[in-house]
Amino acid sequence: MIIKFIGAVILISATSLIGFSLANDCSKRPRALRELQSLLQMLENEISYLSNLLLEAFNRIYEGTNSDTAILFREAAKNLGTNGITADEAWEKSIEENYAKLSLNKEDKTILVTFGKMLGNSDLEGQLNNIKLMSSQLKLQELKAEGMRLKNEKMYRSLGVLSGLAITIVLF
Amino acid sequence: MSSGVDLIFKIAAIGILVAVLNQVLIRSGREEQAMMTTLAGIIVVLMMVSKEIAGLFDAVKTMFQF
Repeated sequence: MIIKFIGAVILISATSLIGFSLANDCSKRPRALRELQSLLQMLENEISYLSNLLLEAFNRIYEGTNSDTAILFREAAKNLGTNGITADEAWEKSIEENYAKLSLNKEDKTILVTFGKMLGNSDLEGQLNNIKLMSSQLKLQELKAEGMRLKNEKMYRSLGVLSGLAITIVLF
Repeated sequence: MSSGVDLIFKIAAIGILVAVLNQVLIRSGREEQAMMTTLAGIIVVLMMVSKEIAGLFDAVKTMFQF
């Protein structure tokens, strides 16, 4: 009897945890997108006013902020350090490995990878335009993400708890 | 006897759960999925009840000795 009870508690907490973690992901996304925009702004400043190399610019951005999204830049800087990797590959690799940690979507990842492809490949003017384009796209994504968050966060949480309850009741 | 009462409680609890789930899904705009969960609830309850109905028919059969 008591083992049944313990099993039911484990089941319900498992599904609730899944629901909570999905809701958490959903709610962190708009903030991550906003941080990305401000980091891109910093990158633009680094490139246009200080004319730093990409590696240095990435490192300085990572040092200069304490938001989670900056680890993207740190990983990209690390990848740039190894030989034989071009800038866009380094950026892309760091995104592949880290975008899920930051609760970013597949669409966000595509936008960032497209940004990376243009990274090493044009002059100063082109880079700045690229960054501006990226910022406006990210802003669009952020507005959409904010809307989705309002709808989905509560839903995922209740869905987790309720499905746990439903399975428990059907099985017992 | 007790299995009958258990069944009633189970069906009631599933009914409440499906109603709450329905409202949650409708409120967040996903109406097709709300309808799907209602349907799923109906199917689950039907499956639980059909066994009892088969038993009922058996009893009626033996009662009238068809």
